[in-house]
Amino acid sequence: MDIFDILFWFLSFVAVGCALGVILSRNPINSVLFLILTFFAISGHYILMNAQFLAIVNIIVYAGAIMVLFLFVIMLMNLNADVEPQKGRIVQFAGVLSGGVFFLVLLAATKSAASQQMVKTPTDIGLITNLGKVLFTEYVLPFEISSVLFLSAMIGAIVIGKKEPHLHQTEAR
Amino acid sequence: MKALIAATVFGVIMMFSGIVMHNRKSIATLAVALFAVLTGISVWDLISAPCDAPQLLFNNMLRLENLSLWFCVLMTAATLLYVMLLHKEIENVGSHVAEYFALIFFILTGIYLLATFNNMLMLFIGIEILSIPQYILAGSDKYNLKSSEASLKYFLMGAFSTGIMLMGITLVYGAAHSFNIMDFVSMLHSESLNPMALAGILFIIMAFSFKVSAAPMHMWTPDVYDGAPTPFTAFMATIGKAAAFFAFLRLFHVAFANLSSHWTTIIAIITAATLFIGNITAVFQQSVKRMLAYSSIAQAGFMLFAVLAVNAAAWHGIIIYAAAYSVATIGLFSVLVKLKDYTYDGFNGLAKKEPMLAFSAAIFVFSLAGIPLTGGFMAKYYVLLAVMQQGHQMWLIIFALLMAAVSVYYYFRVIAAMYFKAGDPQIASPVTLGDKLLLGLTCLIVLLLGIAPQLVM
Repeated sequence: MDIFDILFWFLSFVAVGCALGVILSRNPINSVLFLILTFFAISGHYILMNAQFLAIVNIIVYAGAIMVLFLFVIMLMNLNADVEPQKGRIVQFAGVLSGGVFFLVLLAATKSAASQQMVKTPTDIGLITNLGKVLFTEYVLPFEISSVLFLSAMIGAIVIGKKEPHLHQTEAR
Repeated sequence: MKALIAATVFGVIMMFSGIVMHNRKSIATLAVALFAVLTGISVWDLISAPCDAPQLLFNNMLRLENLSLWFCVLMTAATLLYVMLLHKEIENVGSHVAEYFALIFFILTGIYLLATFNNMLMLFIGIEILSIPQYILAGSDKYNLKSSEASLKYFLMGAFSTGIMLMGITLVYGAAHSFNIMDFVSMLHSESLNPMALAGILFIIMAFSFKVSAAPMHMWTPDVYDGAPTPFTAFMATIGKAAAFFAFLRLFHVAFANLSSHWTTIIAIITAATLFIGNITAVFQQSVKRMLAYSSIAQAGFMLFAVLAVNAAAWHGIIIYAAAYSVATIGLFSVLVKLKDYTYDGFNGLAKKEPMLAFSAAIFVFSLAGIPLTGGFMAKYYVLLAVMQQGHQMWLIIFALLMAAVSVYYYFRVIAAMYFKAGDPQIASPVTLGDKLLLGLTCLIVLLLGIAPQLVM
């Protein structure tokens, strides 16, 4: 049991525990805070795998930007009280059933995975130099074309958010 | 792949045209001209492609076969037809006319990716470029509550289905160790199949059936298609859906073809449920627009037959179905937008008042119902033929024919209202000579597809 193992088990424990906390806690604010902790634990795993860039991006984008957005939405809509309507028995049962079946499939997949050995030798694939090289050679098309995606999302923000000069109320049909 | 770049550039040009031009008409004219140029460019792509072997572009990200390029040409041409028929209505949806056309250009970029992807990353980006502009277009009539509701509903559910698709892609990646769909063929075998791959395929099926509005995931369709501004519903229900279908077919027939024994049963059940729900619910609708939403679910059931049959005939089937269904539905929507009242009663007596509108609507309805001599008949014939060649699932074919018979009832209610009922239909915008000529041209295309379907295959 070296330091790698101890860190790995500790981070895994934190990640799984906090993920459970996200779905089990009744208060949405607590859920979001647990989710942030989960992201930090996963970033720790990335660092263990020698992928520092991914770890930092994970923290900046997910724990930083997206979680703040989540908190804003929850606070703006005043969801901090337990106002979620209760689902019916049948829906709950169906949810448990399908979730359980999916869990079984994933369990089977992990059991039949070829190597059950933990690979501890870190590779250099997650370093920023390699990522940059791959991004601008092998994956240049997806990298460039996603700009179209972001551009259309920005157009959407303008089209939906901008005030129309004349407020016309059309008949619903 | 010149059309891919051209569509993006034209979209950006349209965006900037909103700054320079302030007249809605001139923006629309520019858009029509650019769509015509884009159609030319995609034809050029098709002609300049070597006809023997597929081309691999951008480090195996795209694979261009002649069929995919031909599909791109058809979709671009259908978009051109759509813009020509409906640009007057698009101008009047809201004040961001240039942006609407820009979004349609971006959707075409996504369609080109979906028709030619060779890598799951490109599939995912293609699906997203196809979907996000559609969420925006659905909500473009922002002072209409129903439009906003449609947009929000479509966005939330679409984002959820995208999450499911990503999960599926991740699981398949875990089993195949690659995003390249050609590697799936060599890595995934029926004998030694990782359960992870099967779970992934199931997730991808579910996500795709959301995008094409197939049965268990069809709930959003009527509300979104009914709430969205009518000219954009015409686009979403036809070209957007056909492109998602082509990607569905491409992924499952290329990448997962040798696993077909695992997924055909699921697709068969989805097909049966889609046909049943789409057709039976359409019977009870009072609004023609809502009926068309359900009919688009029913037609999706027929297009699923092409996914079900893993053979060469299915590719031809989906292409002719996409063409026939898109043209007829765009035509019917362009008649619908001319009317004030979207219920069946709004069509009463249309044949007396606007004979050309009524006549072309009748032709489009014939095609959708699958009456011989129209494109719709040939389309249904070819997708069912593909399943027949496969040799099993005969019960499904018989069930589909029964459902097609049901569909005749609700389609022909439109004709009955126009020709056999008296009334004074309210026309929303005047029908000009140009409209009549374009409708005539659309009718001609529908009939031509029915008489000589080999033209598009």
